Amino acid sequence: MVHTCTQSPRDGDLFRAFPSTNFFSHVLKLMNNTLCVCVCVCEEDDLDESSGPQLPSAAGRRKNLEFEPLSTTALILEDRPANLPAKSLEETQRHKMEYDEMVAGAKRREMKEAQRKKRQMKERHRQEDIISNAMVVWNNEILPHWDNVKGTRRVRELWWQGLPPSVRGRVWSLAIGNELNITPELYEIFLSRAKEKWRSYSETSSVNDSESGASLADRESSLDLIKLDISRTFPSLFIFQKGGPYHDLLHSVLGAYTCYRPDIGYVQGMSFIAAVLILNLEEAEAFITFANLLNKPCQMAFFRVDHELMLKYFAAFEVFFEENLPRLFSHFQTNNLTPDLYLIDWIFTLYSKSLPLDVACRVWDVFCRDGEESLFRTGLGILRLFEEVLLQMDFIHIAQFLTRLPEDLQAHTLFTAMANTHMISRSRRWAQVFSALMKDVNKEMDKNSSPALRS
Amino acid sequence: MAYAYLFKYIIIGDTGVGKSCLLLQFTDKRFQPVHDLTIGVEFGARMITIDGKQIKLQIWDTAGQESFRSITRSYYRGAAGALLVYDITRRDTFNHLTTWLEDARQHSNSNMVIMLIGNKSDLESRREVKKEEGEAFAREHGLIFMETSAKTASNVEEAFINTAKEIYEKIQEGVFDINNEANGIKIGPQHPTTNSTLSGSQGGQHAGGGCC
Repeated sequence: MVHTCTQSPRDGDLFRAFPSTNFFSHVLKLMNNTLCVCVCVCEEDDLDESSGPQLPSAAGRRKNLEFEPLSTTALILEDRPANLPAKSLEETQRHKMEYDEMVAGAKRREMKEAQRKKRQMKERHRQEDIISNAMVVWNNEILPHWDNVKGTRRVRELWWQGLPPSVRGRVWSLAIGNELNITPELYEIFLSRAKEKWRSYSETSSVNDSESGASLADRESSLDLIKLDISRTFPSLFIFQKGGPYHDLLHSVLGAYTCYRPDIGYVQGMSFIAAVLILNLEEAEAFITFANLLNKPCQMAFFRVDHELMLKYFAAFEVFFEENLPRLFSHFQTNNLTPDLYLIDWIFTLYSKSLPLDVACRVWDVFCRDGEESLFRTGLGILRLFEEVLLQMDFIHIAQFLTRLPEDLQAHTLFTAMANTHMISRSRRWAQVFSALMKDVNKEMDKNSSPALRS
Repeated sequence: MAYAYLFKYIIIGDTGVGKSCLLLQFTDKRFQPVHDLTIGVEFGARMITIDGKQIKLQIWDTAGQESFRSITRSYYRGAAGALLVYDITRRDTFNHLTTWLEDARQHSNSNMVIMLIGNKSDLESRREVKKEEGEAFAREHGLIFMETSAKTASNVEEAFINTAKEIYEKIQEGVFDINNEANGIKIGPQHPTTNSTLSGSQGGQHAGGGCC
């Protein structure tokens, strides 16, 4: 019966011969089985032995490929099993043709993929070459003469192109400096103080839970909070979480800081900054750089959560926002989208939470070179990069977009957008605009220009 | 998509009680055991239906650390509903409710509907706050109350939707002035009755005219 069916090529004939749909689908299944398509991953050598009559040529052609894919997708055309009637000549021909088309398609895809991989490898090698060349330059020519060359045009340009990961931490710590004169010994002292506190805290809280009073709980809460937040810092990296290789390190650096600066304590966002430093520096050096970085005016304003001062930064940002991207600026104003909604996250974590980590490190490079101004320039770069998309969005979509930036954001596109962002407004630079706004604090306390304060 | 009303919500409460997880469960129907830390504020949105009307919820999910209070205070403005969340496995998060409530009452409009949420109800073995205590606190302060689990999704829909129902009822009763955007309610673009009066109010633009 099946034999008859396959000899009737038109669907109508099939239906006439087998009106029952159940039966028809059964036949279809059988037909499909005749062209048995197996996808297997096998080594080239195995192929020659196990293959049917068509395969040696296929394998031979594959050998002509310029680049050998690691695995091979083989499509095997099999004859109908012996217990079933043989295919007609016409059908065999058709299946052969279909088979050839499939193989050719697979080949094309394989070729395309191989070429893409080759381009990717080439680009990676190119990048690696650039990095290793840059590394030599940084190690041999720049770092030994740091104080003399750090401000030169050439060094600044190399710096903008991204620091090689092997010297990154070193350059960051040199650029941020150690105004606070913290020594590794001092770090050890604060660390042991923190450990002491943790010990006594865990003892008291286990002995008398609620009676120990709110004051103790509040005093120690920032130590307790660190524990809670470490697991929520770069959770996708799985290195700062409990049991991860850097968990204790992050705990130590943040704990030591709360003992070093009890007036500030631990503030959310710090864990991200400390984590990025730990990824690039030795423990004590990470702490020293961390403390000095947080001591910078902008970071101090934010981590003290000095709301008034933060609003000044936002207002200065808006001056340059309007200057650089007037259309988007007015779109944001129309939608009541104030800069605090996205800048708080960006500035508190120095972009390490919202940008892919490699891009964030590039942003940090520039921050170490240019200071706080660059943080706002980065923000404007992001807005410029996505200007067209953002112009089409309403409040909630913009807010969601900016607090969760695309994961595939590329450093070079962001840096082009940043390069096109000019931090000059009516021939005033960032520092001038900012200090002018600061002078206004006293003059017009009530008529503040940042929208967030109008609340 | 067109909506009849847009309600602004704010989620508040101590850090680590599961505010972002509740939001994620409500908007995306999924649970992330280790959620990113929220710095400042994050956002979510979802459409719900009440009484046959499409209502868009615009949700502001705030940072919980005390240091950020001065910032989050400015986000109460224009919220129609608040979810005040504590963690049933951490008594201190329950003890802090009074200060959260004071903050909320002081910086929001008086009609804001507040839903008290005891989250992490799936962790029964680690419970430190009895359900009755949450109920008593809610009764005493005139809040709606629910225990939820962002992990199992238990009561999460209900918490967000019941808050909206309460707001909707207040609108029906005429308690909320829907033409005043400071109340956290915006009228959708296709609303039949109020378009003429809306244009005269508030002076500023109304984002209610935007898309969802």
